Amino acid sequence: MSTIKSSTTTTTAYQVVADTTGTLVFQTGATPTTALTIDASQAVTFAGAVSLSGNQTTTGNLTVNGNTTLGDASTDTILMTGAPSIGGAGLGMGMGFRNRIINGAMVIDQRNAGAAVVSNNSGQYPIDRFIVEAYGGGVLTTQQSTTVPAGFLNSLLITVTTTDTSLGTTDDYEFSQKIEGFNVFDLGWGTANAQTVTLSFWVRSSVATTYSVGFQNSDASRSYVGTYTINSANTWEQKTITVAGDTSGTWNKGNSTGLFIRWCLATGTNRIASVANTWESANRIAISATANPIMGTSGATFNITGVQLEKGSTATSFDYRPYGTELALCQRYLPMFTFGASEKLITGQAISTTQVITTFLFPVTARSVATGVTSSAGSNFALGDATLGYGANQTGTAIAFETGGVNQASVKLTCTSGLVAGNASIVLSRFANTTIQFTGCEL
Amino acid sequence: MTYKLYIRFDKTEPDAAMTTNAQGNAVSFLFDENNPDYQAYLKWLAEGNTPEPADEVTQQ
Repeated sequence: MSTIKSSTTTTTAYQVVADTTGTLVFQTGATPTTALTIDASQAVTFAGAVSLSGNQTTTGNLTVNGNTTLGDASTDTILMTGAPSIGGAGLGMGMGFRNRIINGAMVIDQRNAGAAVVSNNSGQYPIDRFIVEAYGGGVLTTQQSTTVPAGFLNSLLITVTTTDTSLGTTDDYEFSQKIEGFNVFDLGWGTANAQTVTLSFWVRSSVATTYSVGFQNSDASRSYVGTYTINSANTWEQKTITVAGDTSGTWNKGNSTGLFIRWCLATGTNRIASVANTWESANRIAISATANPIMGTSGATFNITGVQLEKGSTATSFDYRPYGTELALCQRYLPMFTFGASEKLITGQAISTTQVITTFLFPVTARSVATGVTSSAGSNFALGDATLGYGANQTGTAIAFETGGVNQASVKLTCTSGLVAGNASIVLSRFANTTIQFTGCEL
Repeated sequence: MTYKLYIRFDKTEPDAAMTTNAQGNAVSFLFDENNPDYQAYLKWLAEGNTPEPADEVTQQ
């Protein structure tokens, strides 16, 4: 091979050694070493690091060995035009619905619009898809919060309003999300091909100690307790828990609960596992060391956001979905409408002089048929028809559920008089923030 | 809190109930075991309570 050398010695600063192999080599350094080789077929090999400025265009296949970084710290932008195809086993984390948790950034709060709710021998949804339960003598106040780590808008804030320092065997304080079977069936749990998952979340508590999370099937006949430790009080920390998939038990794959994730705030001995990080055929969400991390402290606070459950053993960055997408995902479990003042909501038909039946079409197909309604009081609505004349209406006195499906539900509104049976009727909202939410669709 | 039974349109017997919750919202539900408000109603019944009867059907 012909060689062109450049060294640090004056007498050998530039040398050319020729041959007839058709290969050309460039060497540099005090002891000239090959930096660039161009073989007879014009293939080029660089021995050292290569820096390119300006635009680069590659035709043909590009093979990259080793780690690859795209984008930069300031923009982190990857632009793909046309219709690129991305696939292969290397994308084990998946594209699209990578995060199986819905509303993990705590941004959707259809029910309360940020207002606080109280769990006292009951379960309440302070935000969509996450229920906070308090069963025992203690009371929890919960609401959407703007105390967040960098990169988030909201968190879920839980405050211990009334302590429980003497837990009964069945007492239970927790928040949880039930994941629909359709959204986790690919994990293969209950089979020999069960996939590993990783749960990650940002958490901040006034009580720095060890907490636990339970992973269960729908009837809680299979449980895995993972633990995490909050190292510093009132400081955001990101935690990850990796769980080897369960190869036993029955795990639902349809529109019922496929995976139940329960963050324990305190629980009685009935739900205490002997050890963590193992599958057990019982209802377990804690170990003895995590039985009551926070319910013994009056006024204790606990914030959480950025909750993500993904396939694999690595926690990747949070999977931000468009707000509209996240809202639609929530509406599958809670079809809900919020109206302004004096809005003409919908038409219906009078079935008597005092009653109208009307049907609300859901924005998203619900998980299951609606079986009830929770709404503003009947007096928040008004009913009008042709007999009353344009602009005239009767104030509502009651609203009640009639029938429901997965795409619509009907309600009966009542007033004191003035309608004509068989007439078309219009339903109006009298005040701002008049709401109708259909129930029975949440897991 | 108390509950009142009601008869839905085109039905002859009550299979639903209504109440007002702590926030002043109107709550009504079918007797469906998957509805959380029905579950709360069953718990309320188990505590020895009795709902108000349904109104007579007066469809015109």
